[in-house]
Amino acid sequence: MSAATTHTSGLADAATRETVATWLAPAIGATRVHIGDAVLLTGGAVQQNWRIDVTVEGGPRNGAHVWVLRTDAAARLNVSLDRVAEYRCIATAHERGVKVAEPIAVCEDTSLIGASFALQAFVSGTAQGRRIVRDPALATFGDALAQEIGRELARIHAIRPAAGVLTALPVPLGNPSRLVVATLRASLDSASAPRPALEFILAWLEAHAPEPRTLTLVHGDFRTGNYMINAGRLTAILDWEFCHWGDPREDIGWFIARCWRFGNDDKVAGGIARFASLLAGYNETAEAKMTASEIQYFEVMAAARWATIALLQGDRFVKGGERSLELALTGLMPPEMELDALDIIERIDSGKARA
Amino acid sequence: MTTGKLGPDALLDLAIEMLKTEIGPVLPPEKRYASAMIVNALEIAQRAITGEDETADFALLDAIYDDGDGTMKRLATDIRDGQVDTKNHPDLLQMLKAQLISELAVRNPRSLESRGGK
Repeated sequence: MSAATTHTSGLADAATRETVATWLAPAIGATRVHIGDAVLLTGGAVQQNWRIDVTVEGGPRNGAHVWVLRTDAAARLNVSLDRVAEYRCIATAHERGVKVAEPIAVCEDTSLIGASFALQAFVSGTAQGRRIVRDPALATFGDALAQEIGRELARIHAIRPAAGVLTALPVPLGNPSRLVVATLRASLDSASAPRPALEFILAWLEAHAPEPRTLTLVHGDFRTGNYMINAGRLTAILDWEFCHWGDPREDIGWFIARCWRFGNDDKVAGGIARFASLLAGYNETAEAKMTASEIQYFEVMAAARWATIALLQGDRFVKGGERSLELALTGLMPPEMELDALDIIERIDSGKARA
Repeated sequence: MTTGKLGPDALLDLAIEMLKTEIGPVLPPEKRYASAMIVNALEIAQRAITGEDETADFALLDAIYDDGDGTMKRLATDIRDGQVDTKNHPDLLQMLKAQLISELAVRNPRSLESRGGK
């Protein structure tokens, strides 16, 4: 998900940096904090990220650091978590050994810079999906990277609501797949353009909802473009704002959805590798193993979800008056995902395996 | 595309060519994505002008409704309510695919090519 809406004031202002530094010092047990350069990194529509140079005096983090300050942008999707809730998810994942940028601190006080914000360590590398899938060295590292990603997904899915963590996240009652269908339908109710194909796909998803797996933490947007790699190795999983309790297969279906392969369609695992490599890594680590066939349903769900989101992004222009060409073009994308979903439904209904 | 007439499609054709050949190459790297979006938008508009993207909508609606009052909104509602499904329209999935393929021929024909024309 991306859009053109950003606001570039905030940390560019020295007084705002000083305000953050004053708040941060006691939050990390330091005697003094100085924030030097702040650079607005390119990011999505849902939040903004500032790279900041930080000098810490005293306490456990004494020294010079490069951190990222992540805050809400003006345009936040109402289904996404705010920065504080997202930070709690990242911190929980970090405690469980998931590869995330180290969480540093979170500020719930919106009066400091106009929104809540969170600080994490800066991780070097690239997260650009198109660049990753076109890397000439992908042939040498793709399968190993997909296995590594599979293992990380399994670690995320080992986090369960029963453990008493992340209690602020709502626990779905009933079949989580049917809940997703209901949520998407509710979103479509306000959409400007009717989509019969999408309604057909949602009706199919409702009728074919599988028995749920044990509820786990679901990243909610784990795909190529939302993880960082450096020299072909995974360094951090990004963008946790759609994190929720749900069926873990949702994440795998989202990862392999054709729309996130960036044109590398034959590499089903996010445009980087064979699906078998992702599953091998996952099943090596996961308590509950997955099969390729049970993920097909969730691939349909992924296509339906992205089609719905694209439609709503377009409506930010059509109905919301946001004059963004990127939003308008995104709003034209639903038939691509709908056709993907219908192709998979056809394959499933005919009993054929993935080509 | 050259039509020989100063119609809207010809103007778009010239504008796209100018953007691609004269403007695009001298833009700074950070503006290339915006430039690509503009070219994409103009090409979609050009195909929408010269194509018949609603023909497939009418074909779909005429196949479902014989009262002549079919609309895409009505069809979406009827599918959600279970009034239109593969039991009463066994070819529904194929009909929907045909309508989507027609939309994509205007919005993103490259995505059809990458499906091998499916």
